[in-house]
Amino acid sequence: MLTLTKDRALALAMLVLTAVMLAETRHIRPPTSWQPYGSALFPRILLVIIGLLALLILVRSLMAGVPPRTAPRRTFTAWLAHHRIVLCLFALFGAYALLLPWVGYLAATIGFLVASLALLLGIDSRRKWAINLAVSLTLAPLVYVIFRFGLNVWLP
Amino acid sequence: MADFFLQALAQVGSPSVLLLILVGVLFGIIGGSIPGFTVTMAILVVFPFTFAMDPVSGVSLMVGVFVGGYSGGIVSGVMLGIPGTPSSITTVYDGYPMAQKGEPGRALGIGVAASFLGTLISVAVLVFFGPLIAGFSMNFRPWEITALIIFALTLVAGLSNGALLKGLLAAVLGLLITTVGYDRNSNLRFDFGLPAFSSGFEILPVMIGIFAFSQLMGNLEKLRDEPSDARGVDTNVSIPYGRILRDMAGQKLNTLRSSLIGSLVGALPGTGGTVANFISYDQAKKFSRHPERFGTGTPDGIVASEASNSAVAGGAFVPTLALGIPGDLPMAIMMGVLILHGITPGPLMFEQNPVLVGAIYASLLIGAVVMVLCQLLLVRWFAKISLIPQQILVPVVLMLCAIGSYALNNNLFDIWVLFGFGILGYLLWKAEVPLTPLILGVVLGNNLERQLFRALELDSSWLTFLTRPLSALFLALAVASVIFSLYQNRKIQRNQLAARRTDA
Repeated sequence: MLTLTKDRALALAMLVLTAVMLAETRHIRPPTSWQPYGSALFPRILLVIIGLLALLILVRSLMAGVPPRTAPRRTFTAWLAHHRIVLCLFALFGAYALLLPWVGYLAATIGFLVASLALLLGIDSRRKWAINLAVSLTLAPLVYVIFRFGLNVWLP
Repeated sequence: MADFFLQALAQVGSPSVLLLILVGVLFGIIGGSIPGFTVTMAILVVFPFTFAMDPVSGVSLMVGVFVGGYSGGIVSGVMLGIPGTPSSITTVYDGYPMAQKGEPGRALGIGVAASFLGTLISVAVLVFFGPLIAGFSMNFRPWEITALIIFALTLVAGLSNGALLKGLLAAVLGLLITTVGYDRNSNLRFDFGLPAFSSGFEILPVMIGIFAFSQLMGNLEKLRDEPSDARGVDTNVSIPYGRILRDMAGQKLNTLRSSLIGSLVGALPGTGGTVANFISYDQAKKFSRHPERFGTGTPDGIVASEASNSAVAGGAFVPTLALGIPGDLPMAIMMGVLILHGITPGPLMFEQNPVLVGAIYASLLIGAVVMVLCQLLLVRWFAKISLIPQQILVPVVLMLCAIGSYALNNNLFDIWVLFGFGILGYLLWKAEVPLTPLILGVVLGNNLERQLFRALELDSSWLTFLTRPLSALFLALAVASVIFSLYQNRKIQRNQLAARRTDA
């Protein structure tokens, strides 16, 4: 069975993207007498180039074979555990974007900062909590004041 | 031009703009001095604060960050032995050993002085070559501009650390991103039925998402794999001014050579401070009477490194202002700032916005002076700040990125764009796809499409791209850059294979 290396995964993802986007170009208004090239030509040229480059990457990767592993193969659970912090941070950012319109800038930002600092710094000492709360409770209002009163930008 | 420069100087010299330059320089130094933060990140964080400003104020603030950022790497390079930015890697070679010998103040002072002189010389290069190239490129028609953009993209893709195919893929992907939404003919493309997609993606959240997320998450992963132990560094530094003046008196030629290398390398698309840094260090070593002293704490090495990386700032403005083609990532973002303020960088800028061009010159000069004062007076504090752990920085920067993206149009959708492109940037980074060509593609995509179809509307034959001499030259250079990087890749692979065989 073929091993899915980084290059192969990238090439396959790009080929799927090319197929989907090329299909989507059929919904773009066709050329007219005063728009002889139409709006689909440029993206189609780009998609063909992406497809060709992806194919080249795939072929090169298949010809090169799979490099010998330096570390033992990880299970999916082990991979999740290894990337725990980054994945949690992405999730926290997604939650922050989701909460912003509902709870407003201050509450959402303080919540995001406290949660992500707790994730990254840890919560096993009073000192860490003190740093966490000092950073979160100072920076969020400070940025609000700068944007609202200094730059006249209304935050949600 | 002199009249416009004086007019610009009067605007830049106003207390409010001077204060902005000071803030920019301070933030730039702090950004540059924190390992893993980089000049680009500092620029991205400050970028949103310019939205509500007039163009001169906004550009002055950004130029301040540039000047400060390129000099900020000295602090962590000398004090911690870790380059604050990739463009100050060779500063560590001699700055750190000199600090270890008990002369951190001397190392910092030499670096700051070289940075200052490098910036000044690069401004001279910009003032001389900027209008010259702009004047020449005024004759460029859509065929030449299209070919030039293609050349810039292939050059940047080809310089992507031996990953030509991925670099080209990234550049085209960047171009594709700009095709979402209404096009030049008011036709809708790739909206997938979502009204939010109809106006396309703003450049800023796309750029921040792609660059900042991959960089910050990468920093966290690096921290997980190689925990740092940069604590307990003595930050009590005193600057021996007399000694530094004597040191610099013996470095005239080195400073001039390194600054010119920095300016010229900065003006080439896809190169930037890191390349300039290595070339000028190497040249300084070759020209030195004592090459054996390099790497042991010699002033020559610090001067070569810092003069060249600071000179990149002025040099990189040449293609951005004169041709509308940003040379590197920080310049791509700078171009984004100008576009945001309704100014299109390119040859016409010298005619249509001479005051703004003058303001850039003036800000670079004033920024250089402010940088020296800040570095010399506050170096102890910068050294302390450079110790701020990534665990605190990452959430704060992510929050600033989100608010910056929102503040662009007061639109919450832009935060989702940031998030989406953040995930894309991280995944591409994990797949070892270089991100600079992608960001350059995003910045240049609209112009490329506009110019390509303008050319075809004027003359429907595609062959015209090859029959016009300059257009043909740029396309030939694009092909040559691809062939050259293929040759380089082969050479690297051959060397790696030979090294493996020797090890075996």
